[in-house]
Amino acid sequence: MSTIDWVVLCVTLLSIILYGVWKSRGMRNIEAYLLADRQLPWYHVGLSVMATQASAITFISAPGQGFTDGMRFIQFYFGLPLAMVVLCITFIPKFRNLNVFTAYEYLEKRFDNKTRSLTAFLFLVQRGLSTGITIYAPAIILSTILNIDITYTTLFMGGLVIIYTVYGGAKAVSYTQMLQMGIIFSGLIFAAWMVVHLLPPDVGFGDALHIAGKMGKMNVIDTKFDLNNRYNLWSGIIGGFFLQLSYFGTDQSQVGRYLTGRSVAQSRLGLIMNGLVKIPMQFLILMIGTLVFTFYQFHQAPVFFNKTEVNKMEAGAYKQEWKKVDSSATVLHIAKQKQVTRLIQALHSDNTALEDSMRAGLQSSEKQSAQLRKQAVALILKNNKRADVNDTNYIFLSFVTRYLPVGLVGLLIAIIFLASMGSTASGLNSLTSATVIDFYRRLIRPSASPMHYLGASRWFTVGWGLFCIVVAFYAHKLGNLIEAVNILGSLFYGTILGIFLVAFYMKRVGGTAVFIAALAAEAFIVFAWLNDLMAFLWLNMIGCLLVMILSFIIQRFLLGTVIPDHKEASPVSKDIETGKASKYFDN
Amino acid sequence: MSDEKPPVGGRWRNLYALVIGVLIVLIVFFYFFARHFS
Repeated sequence: MSTIDWVVLCVTLLSIILYGVWKSRGMRNIEAYLLADRQLPWYHVGLSVMATQASAITFISAPGQGFTDGMRFIQFYFGLPLAMVVLCITFIPKFRNLNVFTAYEYLEKRFDNKTRSLTAFLFLVQRGLSTGITIYAPAIILSTILNIDITYTTLFMGGLVIIYTVYGGAKAVSYTQMLQMGIIFSGLIFAAWMVVHLLPPDVGFGDALHIAGKMGKMNVIDTKFDLNNRYNLWSGIIGGFFLQLSYFGTDQSQVGRYLTGRSVAQSRLGLIMNGLVKIPMQFLILMIGTLVFTFYQFHQAPVFFNKTEVNKMEAGAYKQEWKKVDSSATVLHIAKQKQVTRLIQALHSDNTALEDSMRAGLQSSEKQSAQLRKQAVALILKNNKRADVNDTNYIFLSFVTRYLPVGLVGLLIAIIFLASMGSTASGLNSLTSATVIDFYRRLIRPSASPMHYLGASRWFTVGWGLFCIVVAFYAHKLGNLIEAVNILGSLFYGTILGIFLVAFYMKRVGGTAVFIAALAAEAFIVFAWLNDLMAFLWLNMIGCLLVMILSFIIQRFLLGTVIPDHKEASPVSKDIETGKASKYFDN
Repeated sequence: MSDEKPPVGGRWRNLYALVIGVLIVLIVFFYFFARHFS
C-alpha cells in the first residue's frame, strides 16, 4: 500500500474510534454499558443491526463468492424481510414490555432457570466461535498486505477491538456503526463504479453483466426445489426465514442492538429499515464479485490469489512445476481474451450464432482454468501440507490492492476493518451481556453494586475477547468464511428459535418438556450435519420444528400435566414488571 | 407502549405490507434480470 493509502486507512479508523469513545464517555451502570440507556433513534438501531450482520466477512468472502459461484448466494437473504415483520409483531413488544437486558431473561419468566441457562449457553458457544471468525477475517488482510504471519495480525486486530469495546460498550458500538455504514455504502458504490471503469473502453456495464451471465454467474434465482442444493428460492425463503428469525430474534448480538431503541416504534422502524435495505446491499456486493470476474476475462487472473502462498511456491522446491502451471495459465488467458472480445462483438452486432459459439468456447476455457487452479492447489499442498488453499477470501482483496487507485485502496481496506470492528464489538458486547445477566448476576453475585457489575462486564469483555482470538487462530481451517459463519449459526439457531416459539405460542408447554426437547433436537441437528443429511439452511427449520413437536409430545404424553399460561414470576421479573428494576442497575 | 403509531404509513400493517411487497418486487426483478443476462 502507498503512503496515501496508509494515511486514509489510519485517519478513517482513528477518527471513527475516537468519535465512538467520545460519545460513550461517562458510563456508570450496566444499562448504559450493555444497552446504551435504551435511548437510540430508529436509524441508529437500523444501521447498527445492519453493521452487526455485515462483518468483514461480508466484504471479503461475498465478492469472492460472486466470483466463483455467481449471484445465487443472494437467495440466502430472501427470508430476512419476512423475519423482520415477525420480529416487529411478536418479539420486539415481548422483550420491550418486560424491559429485559437479554432475550434469555424472558425464558426464565416463561419457563424456568434451566431452560434460560441452556439457551444462553447455546448462544455463548455459537456466538463465541462466530466472533472468533469475524476477528480472523480482517487479520487476513493485514497478513497479505504487510506479508506478516497471520498469528501476529490476528493478535493485533483482536487486541484493537477488545480495547475499543471494553471502554465504549453498546453506545460506542452504535455510534461508530452509524458512521461505518455511511462509509461502507459510499465505498461499495465507488468500488463497483471503478470495476466497470477499469474494463476496456468498448465494454460497458451491460456488456460486463452479459459476459458474466454467459459464463453462468447470473444464477440469481433457482426455482427448483432441492433439499441438497444450498441456495435456491425455497431454501432462501423457508430455510433463510428460520435462520434470520433465529439470528435476529434470539441471538443477543442482534437483540441487544434493537433493545437500544428508545421505544417499541423506534426498534420496529430500525428492523423495517433492515428488511428494505439488506437484499439490495448484498446484491451490490455479489455483483461487484461478478464484475471482478468479468474484469479478469480481460486481464490475466493469478493462478492463485493468496500472494503469501504464491511467494512460497516461487521460492520453493516446486518452483519449476509452478512456472509451468503459470505459463499454461498465460496461454489460456490469451485464448480467453480473444474469445471474450469476439463475444462482445457478437453481442454488439446481435450475432446469435457467434454469441453461442463464443459462449461455449469461454465455458470450455473456464473449465481448463479450473483444472489449472486444481493443479496449482495440488502443488501448494505438496510444498506445504498445512497451506491455506481456500482462495475465495483473497479474490477481492487481491483485486483491490493490485488495480484500484491510490486512496481508494486505503478506504476499502478501512471499510473491511470497520465492518469487522462493528460486528466483533457487537459480538463481544452480547457475549458479555449474556454472561453477566444470565449467569454472573443471577448465579454468582446476585446483589452487588452497579459499579461492580460495570467492572465485571468490562472484565468479561476482555475474557471473551481473548477466547475469540484463540478461535481466530483456527478459523483458517473452516474454508469460505461467510459460509462457515452461517453453517455454525444453523447448528444452534433452529433449536434456540424453537424454544422461543414454544414460549410465545404454545402456552401449555412447560420448562421441563421444552428443555428435554431442545437437547434432543440439538443432538439430531449435530447428527444431521455430521452425516450431511441436508443443506445447512434446512437445519434451522428442522431444529425449530423438532423442538416444537417434541416439547408438545413430551408435555402431552409423558409429563401429562397442563400448566398455566405463565409460571410464577421470579423476584427479578416481578421487580421488572412493577417498575422497581432500577435498583439492580442504578446508582 | 406497543400501540404507538408509526411516523409514516398510518398503521404498522401498512409498513409490513411494504416490506413484503418490496421483497416480491425484488424476487421478480432478479428473475428477469437473470434471464436477460444469461
